[in-house]
Amino acid sequence: MSGRTKVRGSIGAAAIVMAGAGPALAADDPAVLKDLTAVIALQGQPCGQVVTATKQGENDYAVACKDGSKYRVFVNPDGRVVVQKQ
Amino acid sequence: MTNSMRVVAIGVVAFLSQACDSTPPTPRQTDGTVSREPAPPPPAESPKVPPTPPGKTVPREGEQPSRDASQKPTAPTRDTPRTTPPVPAAAPRTAPPRAEPTPAAPPPAAPAPTAPPPTESHTSPAPSTQTPATTLRAAAPQTAQAPSAPTPTAPPKAAPLDLGSLEQRLRDTKAIGVFTKLSLKNQVDDLLEQFREFHKSRDQSMLSRLRQTYDLLLLKVLSLLQDGDPALARDVSSSREALWGILVDPDKFKNL
Repeated sequence: MSGRTKVRGSIGAAAIVMAGAGPALAADDPAVLKDLTAVIALQGQPCGQVVTATKQGENDYAVACKDGSKYRVFVNPDGRVVVQKQ
Repeated sequence: MTNSMRVVAIGVVAFLSQACDSTPPTPRQTDGTVSREPAPPPPAESPKVPPTPPGKTVPREGEQPSRDASQKPTAPTRDTPRTTPPVPAAAPRTAPPRAEPTPAAPPPAAPAPTAPPPTESHTSPAPSTQTPATTLRAAAPQTAQAPSAPTPTAPPKAAPLDLGSLEQRLRDTKAIGVFTKLSLKNQVDDLLEQFREFHKSRDQSMLSRLRQTYDLLLLKVLSLLQDGDPALARDVSSSREALWGILVDPDKFKNL
């Protein structure tokens, strides 16, 4: 019993570590995709629609647009939203 | 032979003289071809005519008394052209009177044709110019009435602007994502900074550019709100001019 519990605990811990340690996480939330699409449009950059977004950090996303263009959307230390073409 | 010829000639002359003396009274007056006969009859009758008509002696010279009595004003001019071809001798006599009526005729004829066109041209433009004038005059009241119509719709725009409420509703709305709100706030801050420069420099040339930027930013906000929060979009749209008034007024802008 104790061996099984140890195995289960180690697997859970490994999963948590893997989830938290990953530098890039897919953001499939439609609200986030829509928000990023609006931000890119507000900055006057061509995109059409954001199809995928990968979270790279706090307020930092790497997005891919429907037209094939890719951007980095993040908030700089001054609190400004920046859309940077990749 | 010569005596017989002379006798015959004298006889012919006597016959002719008798014939002339007997015919003059009635038949010559009725004939339309009397003008062919030589001048003798008119001089004989001319002394009779003067007493009857008191005036106008010129037309009587070339015409017979009967015609003068019946057609004084118009007949001379009308008959003379008809009689001129057959009578060569009468032509010189009637020529002066013809020359007078002919110049007289053209003037009336000339003014007649020319007069109508000018009158028509004057009259036609006159109505045309009058009609536009009337239309313009008629349009003026219409245009004056047109602005009066929108005025009833203006009062709704005069709704009091609650800037704090609008700001809070924009912060709380879920129609705009966090990134988008932050990006909009950046652009609002940029616009406010431009207004600060405008109020410092008081350069009126900046105003049109500021208005353009302001309209574009508001359009972005409205496009973001119109689907997720139409009520807030409507209120923001109705507050457009009031917000602009605050931004343009230096005193109100300081109190922001």
